[in-house]
Amino acid sequence: MSFSRHLLPIVLVSLGGGAAAQEVDFQRDIRSLLSDRCFKCHGFDEEMQEADLGLHTFATATRDLGGYRAIAPGDSAASELVARILSDDPSEVMPPPKANKPRLSPEEVALVRRWIDGGAKYEEHWAFVKPTRPEAPEIGESGSSHPVDRFLDAARAGKDLPLNGPADPRTLVRRISYDLRGLPPTLAETEAFLKAHAADPESAWSSLVDAFLASPAYGERWARDWLDLARYADSNGYEKDRPRSIWPYRDWVVRALNADLPYDRFTIEQLAGDMLPDPTLDQLVATGFHRNTMLNEEGGIDPLEFRYHAMVDRVATTGSVWMGLTTGCAQCHTHKFDPITHTDYFALFALLDNADEPEIEVPDPALTKRREEIEARVAALESEAAAAVDEADFRPWLEELRAKWADWTPLPPLRARSNLPLLEIENDHSVYASGDFSKRDLYEVSLDLSAFAGREVTALLLEALPDPRLPAGGPGVAYYEGRKGDFFLSEIEAKAGGRELAFSEASVSFGKIAIGSGEITGANVFDGDGSTGWSTATREGEAHHLVLRLAEPLAGGGELDLSLLFERHFVAGLGRFRISATDATGELEALPAGVPDVISADEAELRRGFVRVSPGHEAHREEVAKLLRQRPEIPTTLVMRERPAHHPRKTHRHHRGEYLSPKEEVKPAVPALFEPIPEGTRADRLGLARWLVSERNPLGARVAANRAWQALFGRGIVHTSGDYGYQSELPSHPELLDWLAVEFVEQGWSLKRLHRLLVTSAAYRRDSRIDSVQLAKDPDNVLLARGPRFRLDGEMIRDGALHAAGLLSPKQGGPGVFPPQPAGVTELAYGNAAWKTSADEDRHRRSLYTFAKRTAPFAAYLVFDGPTGENCLPRRERSNTPLQALTLLNDPMFLEAAEALARLTGSDGEPDPLESLFQRVLSRPPSEDERRDFLAYHEAQLARLAAGELDAAAILSAEKGDATPELAAWAMVARVLLNLNENITRG
Amino acid sequence: MKPLKPMLHSGLRSLTRRHFFHDCGLGLGRIGLASALAGGFPNLLRTASANPLAPRDTHYGAKAKRVVFLFMAGAPSQLELFDDKPKLRELDGKPIPPSVIAGQRYAFIQPDAAVLAPCFPFARHGQSGAELSDRLPHLAKVVDEIAIVKSVTTDQFNHAPAQLFLNTGHGLPGRPAMGSWLSYGIGSEADDLPSFVVLKSGGSLSGGAAMWSAGFLPGSHAGVPFRESGDPILHVSNPAGYDARAQRDSLDLIGKMNRRELGTVGDPEIETRLDAYEMAWRMQSAAPGLMDFADEPPETLALYGAKPGDPKAAFANQCLLARRLLERGTRMVQVYHSGWDHHSQVANGVTAQAKQVDQASAALVADLKQRGLLEDTLVVWGGEFGRTPMVEASAALGRSLGRDHHPQAFTMWMAGGGIKPGITLGANDELGFHVVEDPVHVHDLHATLLHLLGIDHTKLTYRYQGRDFRLTDVHGHIVRKLLA
Repeated sequence: MSFSRHLLPIVLVSLGGGAAAQEVDFQRDIRSLLSDRCFKCHGFDEEMQEADLGLHTFATATRDLGGYRAIAPGDSAASELVARILSDDPSEVMPPPKANKPRLSPEEVALVRRWIDGGAKYEEHWAFVKPTRPEAPEIGESGSSHPVDRFLDAARAGKDLPLNGPADPRTLVRRISYDLRGLPPTLAETEAFLKAHAADPESAWSSLVDAFLASPAYGERWARDWLDLARYADSNGYEKDRPRSIWPYRDWVVRALNADLPYDRFTIEQLAGDMLPDPTLDQLVATGFHRNTMLNEEGGIDPLEFRYHAMVDRVATTGSVWMGLTTGCAQCHTHKFDPITHTDYFALFALLDNADEPEIEVPDPALTKRREEIEARVAALESEAAAAVDEADFRPWLEELRAKWADWTPLPPLRARSNLPLLEIENDHSVYASGDFSKRDLYEVSLDLSAFAGREVTALLLEALPDPRLPAGGPGVAYYEGRKGDFFLSEIEAKAGGRELAFSEASVSFGKIAIGSGEITGANVFDGDGSTGWSTATREGEAHHLVLRLAEPLAGGGELDLSLLFERHFVAGLGRFRISATDATGELEALPAGVPDVISADEAELRRGFVRVSPGHEAHREEVAKLLRQRPEIPTTLVMRERPAHHPRKTHRHHRGEYLSPKEEVKPAVPALFEPIPEGTRADRLGLARWLVSERNPLGARVAANRAWQALFGRGIVHTSGDYGYQSELPSHPELLDWLAVEFVEQGWSLKRLHRLLVTSAAYRRDSRIDSVQLAKDPDNVLLARGPRFRLDGEMIRDGALHAAGLLSPKQGGPGVFPPQPAGVTELAYGNAAWKTSADEDRHRRSLYTFAKRTAPFAAYLVFDGPTGENCLPRRERSNTPLQALTLLNDPMFLEAAEALARLTGSDGEPDPLESLFQRVLSRPPSEDERRDFLAYHEAQLARLAAGELDAAAILSAEKGDATPELAAWAMVARVLLNLNENITRG
Repeated sequence: MKPLKPMLHSGLRSLTRRHFFHDCGLGLGRIGLASALAGGFPNLLRTASANPLAPRDTHYGAKAKRVVFLFMAGAPSQLELFDDKPKLRELDGKPIPPSVIAGQRYAFIQPDAAVLAPCFPFARHGQSGAELSDRLPHLAKVVDEIAIVKSVTTDQFNHAPAQLFLNTGHGLPGRPAMGSWLSYGIGSEADDLPSFVVLKSGGSLSGGAAMWSAGFLPGSHAGVPFRESGDPILHVSNPAGYDARAQRDSLDLIGKMNRRELGTVGDPEIETRLDAYEMAWRMQSAAPGLMDFADEPPETLALYGAKPGDPKAAFANQCLLARRLLERGTRMVQVYHSGWDHHSQVANGVTAQAKQVDQASAALVADLKQRGLLEDTLVVWGGEFGRTPMVEASAALGRSLGRDHHPQAFTMWMAGGGIKPGITLGANDELGFHVVEDPVHVHDLHATLLHLLGIDHTKLTYRYQGRDFRLTDVHGHIVRKLLA
């Protein structure tokens, strides 16, 4: 398709009825019309096709329907479609009344007729054709040779729009400072730029751009946009919305952007960093991108149903971020508007589906060192206490335990299988469980009793073993609702030679239940009641054991079949365990937790065990416990881990997209409308990631370039920035978009170079004042005859106020912080979650670091259309509401900034506090009129303060310094400045 | 460059406002407009106004102008309140037939659980002879004003998804709430209060803020939760040290500066900002009067059982506040009361919650009626699902004599606003397990609610991510039998 030849840049708003004058263009005039009015019943979804007619391809639309055709190319009069769209008969007319679609207007009918008369040529949708670099048009009205301006000039040519000149340098420095760093310029930066600009505007601009691109704040500003897409949050979402630790991923994004990690690598590492050869820790952390899905911890849910929902979200987000495709429709049925079949959808799903979802440690050398110090201290304390043990106490204690203990022989498992989880036999005869788990899992293990040939087994030992691969180190696999690493063994049944074996008694080293009040005894596991069992909550990461006496001895030599049932209202299987047996005949009892094997352990170990449990050592244990409480946690983060080759997860097509209706298995692939993943490359997550940033994906670079454009110009070239399908708006400047996409790739996928390219255009630097003709002809500023102006995001408004007031902390990274907000914000969330306001510097960190709680987002960001983290957000709304006014006027956070501004500028010795406030907040001095108005306000308030009508001590906080009427009046002035439209708009 | 022509004279300005409304500000951009029109809703959004919350015409005559939804979060047991099942008394303690529960998923219980008989006696009330348990003595007095629907069904069997489903028509967060759809579709009648207000009493809400989120609709349509501590509307009070005059002086200077900027740069968004600050001022002025019940006669407080400031009367206080909001033009008030999740000891639980809720719920119906507001105010009462005919008991959780979640069949009631009074709709099988007559799915409930407000649920659409979304998705039938 020769896309660039015939597709003149067009503007929807100026179309009106003037379309008749132009040649009919399928892309522009016909496709969206057919797609919107017809495809629902006559489109890609063959199951839904009415009258066996599809209007989505030339072949299907022109098919012989029995003596007539829907579309007769070249002859609209003979086309049934035309007859139907013109019909007045409700049973004939298309679209039919039940479709709830408007009829075609006379202009639209005329377009369709002319298109049919011209041969009814179908063309491939522009977005599905690979971009090629169009030649930049001649230099146009702006006189700028910058390629961006040449494309924009060409699109605007003949539209008779007055073109604005460059913005003044004060506006420019503020504009680019917010755009590239998310912060206003400092006084010094503004002054320096004004000076440089006066000498040489171009070189001044160039240096300013370079300086801001190199600023560490650049990564923080652009990370915010990326995290909107990544639906990043610091809590799990849904009902309980408990905190999660995934901030290392957020910090990775900031670092990657600051380092200008090429966008192709940026993509591959986030989608499949774990599958790269010898992945670095950073590459693992990067896979947090798709771990930002929500986790439902509500008691009683089906965990795999919500894993399915998370997968749906991953498919939707991948589609939106890298393919500009809205895949959501195809979850339930073949997409009616875009050429994506139901099977295509699940093939894409399958590419992402084959991973487990662990949490890994992100070691921090300082914290690790501190832990090691504490652990060494504990070991020393124990050795010290053990050395001082009185033999007269120790020996009888040991003998008593030994009398009830046995020499256990681990039984080699022959087979291990389950209803769902993968059970694998390890070299030490333990069994390791992984993969998917449900609320009711049954493990079946067959054990080899040949070591007991000629002897009788009298008792079994079940060891629940910790393992670093398990949540919180195990021994259980619980990862939501309960405590991480918990398990709940409901029942054990034993069989040998087809005969059921009975247990007579049982004991446990330790037992405690999480979520509930049930009592733990060993006998719970053979009482026939699934709601009682054995659990070792609160002592995760340690080994525990259960001793089971057989009611009657079992002759060794054959096989022992054990079935273990784990049944709770949440996933509670064991992650690693080992079965041993003994022929000992005496009394048998579990050892207390903390005591090593009393037969095989050495004397020193045994003595340490003694001081851990025996009376008389309470003070020592308290000292140890106190030390352990000071042991810092190693930070963790959520990552993806591809499943082992022998345990792939099968993906099925789901009827109507419903979790409970799986149908045939679907093999991984990219949607058939695209070139496939190349031969020789595995169709897996890594294959998809590489494909997305390869030339085979016509949309990867376009979508990224459009997002950069949207961020800097306020509105994407494709306005529907997450949707490039048939239903999307056509790009306002298609050739420019393709030029940018190709340029972006050729410049090594460098986002910084792309940003630099855009902001060095004349269009970016244009004055943003709106002329009445511009407003009438191009209200959305699609043609950019004026500079873009738009309201700042809530985060930038807060950061800007803190920055202007000298409060903003430059500290980067780390766990989410809790700046002040009214208590009422989180009380509506489940469990009345407390918002523990941070102290000191953390009150004033950049908004990027504010703890993001999904069910109660920080109020001041949400009110300015900030994200909730529940869905991928390709474009924020920019609403303008009374609640925003109340926030800026009355939120203590902004009052604190106003006070700080007053204390910076209103103190004695400041020659012109008003000028200083204007400069700090608006980066400009006041005009004479403004000075008069503000000083009148200041004087009026000062008079009321002096007269005691207003209370300076209430307006200011005493702990920050003097509360004089003078300062209070300046704080009131600063508050007004922070509320100005000019302050919250990037003009 | 040609000189800029500032646009200030009034004709141009109204043109500006219209353009602004259609094409830029407030997020009500071309997408919403296009999809509303494509959905065949020609009146929607056509008002030339800068205010997205301005009242708009409906599709056809509306029976109801406003809605109050008393949301019983946690899911009350229909078997202890509305739906007597003698068969359950007969089978008490015996396992439920396996054929009934085959293939059903439960949150907590195992499928072999035994039947639990209804815990309370039932009696018929009013001229309609509607059956209620003895836990609802106040509702019994207004029973001829309400329509009881015994055959409600939902798709979700856990709290958060089911609460979201009942509020947004979808089990996952991210879709607009009913109240947001109303605000988007027909705007607000109040110019000093939010259009969609959320009140709460009792414990935590599983569905959380997503239940009153505007989802993909512009944020101005989001529900405004009234806070229990501090300002009812966040930041509606003046800051410490500021009196009304100081606030007004500040607003005047802000307004003057913003108008000056408008004159210089001509951005219509600034005009909207001016309006927003003035509405903020009106909200600040209106809120104290709204929240202060001093003008309510003692009989009214007594009718509801309201005691201002007493947390034990929280639900009653919220019901009275709801009426005051509705009177002042708020379109939709949701009163959430949580505490109905009786997995254990359902008899005690229902008794305690009914004590908190019954009187005020009935009082709201009676009070609206005596004020002539009931006829165009729709009242809805109910939870996210029902409770099982089987008992829940668990040693691990220390539970006994409770009921688990039951999405298949449960009861809600509605009143006023075009609802046929004094009827009981729908019936379930003898175990109360499945609906056997007149099923009312949550989507049907939404379709009916929109219908009563004059909106065709198939035509109220918003295009998002390439698709026209509706509150009722691709489902929903108006329940004609409920209409007066």
